[in-house]
Amino acid sequence: MMRLAVSLRGAPRLPTPSPAAGSVVAAADGVSVVLGGARVLDDVSVEVRAGEVLALVGPNGAGKSTLLSALTGDVAVAAGSVTLHGEPLRAWSATESAMRRAVLLQQVRLSFPFTVAEVVEMGRAPWAGTAFEDSDDEAVRSALAEADVTQFAARRFTSLSGGEQARVALARVLAQRTGLLLLDEPTAALDLRHQELVLGVARTRAATGVAVVVVLHDLNLAAAHADRVAVLAGGRVVATGPPAEVLGGALLTDVYEHDVEVIAHPRTGAPVILPRR
Amino acid sequence: MTATVPAPSPTEAPPEPAPDAVRASRWRQGRGGVLIAGLSVALVVVTVVSAGRGQLQIPPSEVVGSIMHRLDANLEWVLAQAGPTVDLPLDVGPRPQHVQGENTLWLVRFPRVVLALLVGAALAAAGALMQGVFGNPLAEPAIVGVSPGAAVGASLVFVTGSTFLGEWTVAVAAFATGLVTTLLVYALSRSGGRTEVVTLVLTGVAVTAVAFAIVAFATFVATPEAREQIVFWQLGSLNGARWQAILAVLPFVAVGLTLAFAMARSLDLLALGERSARHLGVRVERLRIVAIVAVAMLVGSGVAFAGVIGFVGLVVPHLIRMIAGPGHRLLLPASALGGALLLVSADLVARTAIEYADLPLGMLTALVGGPLFFWLLRRTRTSQGGWA
Repeated sequence: MMRLAVSLRGAPRLPTPSPAAGSVVAAADGVSVVLGGARVLDDVSVEVRAGEVLALVGPNGAGKSTLLSALTGDVAVAAGSVTLHGEPLRAWSATESAMRRAVLLQQVRLSFPFTVAEVVEMGRAPWAGTAFEDSDDEAVRSALAEADVTQFAARRFTSLSGGEQARVALARVLAQRTGLLLLDEPTAALDLRHQELVLGVARTRAATGVAVVVVLHDLNLAAAHADRVAVLAGGRVVATGPPAEVLGGALLTDVYEHDVEVIAHPRTGAPVILPRR
Repeated sequence: MTATVPAPSPTEAPPEPAPDAVRASRWRQGRGGVLIAGLSVALVVVTVVSAGRGQLQIPPSEVVGSIMHRLDANLEWVLAQAGPTVDLPLDVGPRPQHVQGENTLWLVRFPRVVLALLVGAALAAAGALMQGVFGNPLAEPAIVGVSPGAAVGASLVFVTGSTFLGEWTVAVAAFATGLVTTLLVYALSRSGGRTEVVTLVLTGVAVTAVAFAIVAFATFVATPEAREQIVFWQLGSLNGARWQAILAVLPFVAVGLTLAFAMARSLDLLALGERSARHLGVRVERLRIVAIVAVAMLVGSGVAFAGVIGFVGLVVPHLIRMIAGPGHRLLLPASALGGALLLVSADLVARTAIEYADLPLGMLTALVGGPLFFWLLRRTRTSQGGWA
């Protein structure tokens, strides 16, 4: 029935082979979002480019997750437009969108006790009935390995700890093998090693031409792993650019309403961001 | 970053082969095959045994023999219409020895057993479908108002004594009001093109309360005879099943099950939550509408002829999930088989537990299902920490 409905409207358009590095994969242009009468996003414009990790940072309630929701089409925009590969979101069917972007939400949930392998296999759903279905097993195996959850594969998802569940959810998103990754706080529940591992995976994917958007609270992670950083505050983008240019003490002090100092790492020279105590 | 590929160092041991998860899930599918086969065999055995039991005892061999002889005669007739006269070798096995054997089987027992099978499959599959759609193992078809709605139609027919559709009046009225109530609940709980699960459940509670009020009023104003009919209808029974009833139920159950099986993979994805399912290409809102229509067809058609039979839709999918995991591609067909098995068995007990009495089927399923469900609830609570 589901398959029938799809075939009546014609087979879904398969993604073209990876776009040139630097080309715009997704974009929000002058986007405003109103939720419950409050303007959560106000005239926000961001471009997400192939082969690049874009970090969204900012204080609580700045609109980072809402911007991600606007990019996925989960919230309706009151003004402005959101495009995926140059076309408005509604030009893509649900399956076509799922072939082009994978989303990791902040809250990971599962209603029934599926095994970890089954959860990761769910990431292959958009490719059912296409030639890409043949690489399902390989995609699941490598995603399990990338997220360092292979050893849990046969266990029930509900029996894992929060951090382990978060990594399984990441593996599911990786198994989807899309040209755009939208990750909402993928490191929030993770220990130090796995934080580095997850952002390392994001970097590796970007090196293969994938566009990655990642919401982060840890500014040092953003400084170390992002190609570009967009700082949000009060529903607006206050700065966008390479971390070394954007993550300055004055701007961060202003945005976070807390005295922030930025020092150069004694060995690498990379910016280290610390609240002044 | 340089592009040189490091040569594999000879001292490094090859990586340990990881436990093969993908193969493990294949194994689970293999176990699913065994479950389906086991349920099918059990269903056939119980069906044959059940058809033979009653005031007139007919051994299973004679039941099978009777089926084979009919099958043989009918197939030969069909072939004869097409041209050649063939003598098929299917007329094997002993025929019932008792003079009333054939009539008892084909006019009374078989319709009843087949209806039990259909209604059981429909109720259990509908339960699994509801639980999948709402991502809640406690969801039951009753929450969207199918059975309470059907009870309204049935009780109003009993009270008015209306027979505008002959012997079909009760069934048609029950099905119609069940369907309308379900759609009403769904329409009332929709807002801005979306349905929140909690809103839907609470709307179901509100509409169900009104439905029961109407049934209570009907019971109050009814003549003693009609009152008895209302009460017995709500207790659930397959007494008086006819082949016509099966012909009426079959298409609804067939379409409902087909819709349910077609949704299986999407239901798996829905376990990740609405948003994640959408991000994987599921059109959640459309899925819900199709699922609710399928549930209304499955439960509505069953309830129309068998009255209210509870707990089948709750307990059967739960047990299957414990054995074979929550994947809907296995859960839905296995639940349908399990539900059929349960209801054929329960009806056998209802007919034969007390001589010359036909116990209410809904009473039996609730009597067994209630405590069993409580046990499952406790068990899941201990192992998973409950369902919030």
